Amino acid sequence: MAFWSRFFQRIPPADFVRAYQAFPEPDPKLPWREVPYTVIDVETTGLDPRRDALIAIGAVNVENGRVLLKQTWYSLIRPPADREPSVESIRIHHLTPEELQHAPPPAEVLAELLQRIAGRVLVVHVAQVDVRFINAALKPFGGRLRRPILDTARLALTLHLNARWSGEQPHDMPDPAIELRALATALGLPVYAQHNALNDAVTTAQLFIAQATILADQGRSNLAGLIRAGGV
Amino acid sequence: MEEIARFLRSYPPFDRLPDQVVSQIAGELQIEFVRSGQTILTRGGKPSEFLYIVCKGSVDLLRGEDQIVDTLGPGEAFGHPSLIRGQPPLVTVRAHTDTLLYLLPGAIFHRLRAEYPQFAAFFAASVIERLGYALQSRQAESNPALFQTRLRDLVARPPVSISADATVGDAARLMRAERISSLIVDQVPPGIITDRDLRNRVLAEGLPDTTPVRQVMSAPATTISADALAFEGLLLMLERGIHHLPLVDGDQIVGVITHTDILRRQSNSPLFLPRLLQRATSLADLRRYTDQVAEAVGTLMAAGARVSDIGRVVAVAHDALLQRLLRDAEAQLGPPPVPYAWLVLGSEGRYEQTLRTDQDNALVYDDSASSEDVSYFEKLAELVVGWLVECGFPRCPGNIMATNPEWRQPLSVWQHYFRRWIEIPNEEALLRIAIFFDYRQVYGQLPAELVLRTITQHAAEHRIFIARLARAALRQPAPLTFFRQVALERRGEQRDLLDLKLRGTAMVVDLARLFALEAHSNETNTIARLRAAKAAGVLSHEDADNLISAFELLSSLRLHHQQKQIALGLPPDNLINFHQLGPRERREVKESLQAIASVQRGVALMFQTDRLA
Repeated sequence: MAFWSRFFQRIPPADFVRAYQAFPEPDPKLPWREVPYTVIDVETTGLDPRRDALIAIGAVNVENGRVLLKQTWYSLIRPPADREPSVESIRIHHLTPEELQHAPPPAEVLAELLQRIAGRVLVVHVAQVDVRFINAALKPFGGRLRRPILDTARLALTLHLNARWSGEQPHDMPDPAIELRALATALGLPVYAQHNALNDAVTTAQLFIAQATILADQGRSNLAGLIRAGGV
Repeated sequence: MEEIARFLRSYPPFDRLPDQVVSQIAGELQIEFVRSGQTILTRGGKPSEFLYIVCKGSVDLLRGEDQIVDTLGPGEAFGHPSLIRGQPPLVTVRAHTDTLLYLLPGAIFHRLRAEYPQFAAFFAASVIERLGYALQSRQAESNPALFQTRLRDLVARPPVSISADATVGDAARLMRAERISSLIVDQVPPGIITDRDLRNRVLAEGLPDTTPVRQVMSAPATTISADALAFEGLLLMLERGIHHLPLVDGDQIVGVITHTDILRRQSNSPLFLPRLLQRATSLADLRRYTDQVAEAVGTLMAAGARVSDIGRVVAVAHDALLQRLLRDAEAQLGPPPVPYAWLVLGSEGRYEQTLRTDQDNALVYDDSASSEDVSYFEKLAELVVGWLVECGFPRCPGNIMATNPEWRQPLSVWQHYFRRWIEIPNEEALLRIAIFFDYRQVYGQLPAELVLRTITQHAAEHRIFIARLARAALRQPAPLTFFRQVALERRGEQRDLLDLKLRGTAMVVDLARLFALEAHSNETNTIARLRAAKAAGVLSHEDADNLISAFELLSSLRLHHQQKQIALGLPPDNLINFHQLGPRERREVKESLQAIASVQRGVALMFQTDRLA
């Protein structure tokens, strides 16, 4: 009985989740530059939200179409005892179990995350992974991320297809790599040191403003246009 | 964002800010992406709220709809003039390519300007101020006493003076009592008497100690402003061959400095050179002397001297050598049968020689010379030119030397040459003018320089001549691409080369010669010519100052390059690889060339050079 009730019963949302949900959604008709965005990137111990843990998150705000380096945020997250990072993953993110043990617990970090992104549009590169991890972490608190969420990998694909249709690129041109560094480099943008959640968030943010500017040039100048081109 | 801080640190003026501060700045930036063709700032529009720094891509600065004033690339900044004045931008800024910009908020920019004078100076509104600042900072960097010390600060005590009617005995006793080696002679303008005068003009001449000071003093004394730099004092003493220099502040003499006061600050000084020359007894000694002069150039350069000042030191030293050689030649051949003059030409004539380069000289003798006398000068020229070769000055490959009979002529023939070049300005004449109009008389009793100057002074009355000269000065355009970037050359295997002489300093030399003639000026030094043209109103103040700064900068880069090659045992040339320069230097070169190009455009309009084609 206890098992079933836990399965069906919706967990009542925590206060910080309620506060997040209370914010009005941005108006999709707004020109893209007038919408506030937060670009995030996460580090995890692996790729499976059921087995692996969220261990770091980086965020940077975009306002008036500009990346604001003064409005950045970075935090480590203490993983559950049974989900400590594997040796292979440490090699990628350079975060050691010792460092992570002193990190704040998920509740604290998630509360701050939701407070920071409330009323803003979330931008993520390959949103699928990051969003699943955050939603999994939010589940015990009765929450999940609200849409719209924009994915720079999807935006890249749309831009690529647009270019193909408009004849700017030959039809046999392969689809673009979705790797962040490759996309940034292709647009002539600088890439900051990889595999640090904050640096990757800033690289993603630059990619995003470039993509949004190009889309606006192609006639999709409001938030709705961005959502059509790269919403998840 | 350490990468952004590192990016900023590799460009001026951020490279001069403390690391910590740049890291903080990086955290204050905003990042903006603009598409090719998009306008960032509008001329006459909303004042700039940021200092914009190009991260990737390039932007055009435009005056009017399509007149591109400048193109900026990574690390270069814009928006500051508007930001500083709080006024609408004077230029429109448009993305030339898709461009990523770092935006530094105005409040932070103003704070940095208040806290770091170098930062403020860098963003001073005009190109000229920036170029001036570049030179200044280079001098300050390389240090020392000579270029930072004001003469005023070397004064140990107030000056002691004596009446012109006092006796030399009184003077000697006063010097002993005060333990000094010179006295100011009280009169207007003041004179000076030194221990040297007592020895050379009194004792050695067998004069009694009752001789009045008036009779042996030097008056008026050579003086210099108390606020002049130690180096300027040094240069003046070197040029005049004096050892005491009274300092004036208004009409007051505030002290006297001696050459040892300055030498104490600088051990390896060119002031030792005259002594070396005096003691030389053989050609090998003289060769050593010219080696020392070459070394002094390195020392002065390392000490941060301006190239124009180094040029003057070298001219003084080489003139002294030439005078010595001519005296030696006269001693060997007997006194000259008629008066003559020895002229130096080209860079030497302009006081701009910094290396031992090919000889460029000529000889003028009095019209009364007989055919026998003429052969005297032939022998004299052979001797001196030969000795110069031994001292390290190769023969001129174009044979512009006093040994060439064409350039060893009586004064009337020289007058004819000069007049013909002006009246019939054909290709050959234009080539000659570029060398022979930059002349100085270094030795000889014949007032050749004076006579020939009256011809060059009136050259501007021949408008066709001036127009031809203007066209020749534009033949070598400033090496800039359509997008106002530096145009580079390729020679054989080497690419990205810039010829700092042909496509740098020589362009300014040609322009300065033209402007000086137009201003009826007799100056031969490029900077002096530009100043004269400015004073005469031939050249605007801004253009003159820009050209002077550009000339100093390009000459300085060239000299540094050559000194480096010499240190490596390579033959010095004028070719630098542009991309091997630091970002600061690249920018300075670009701005210098743009300054030159701008004056060239003005010349084309002013002299209507296209109509002559």
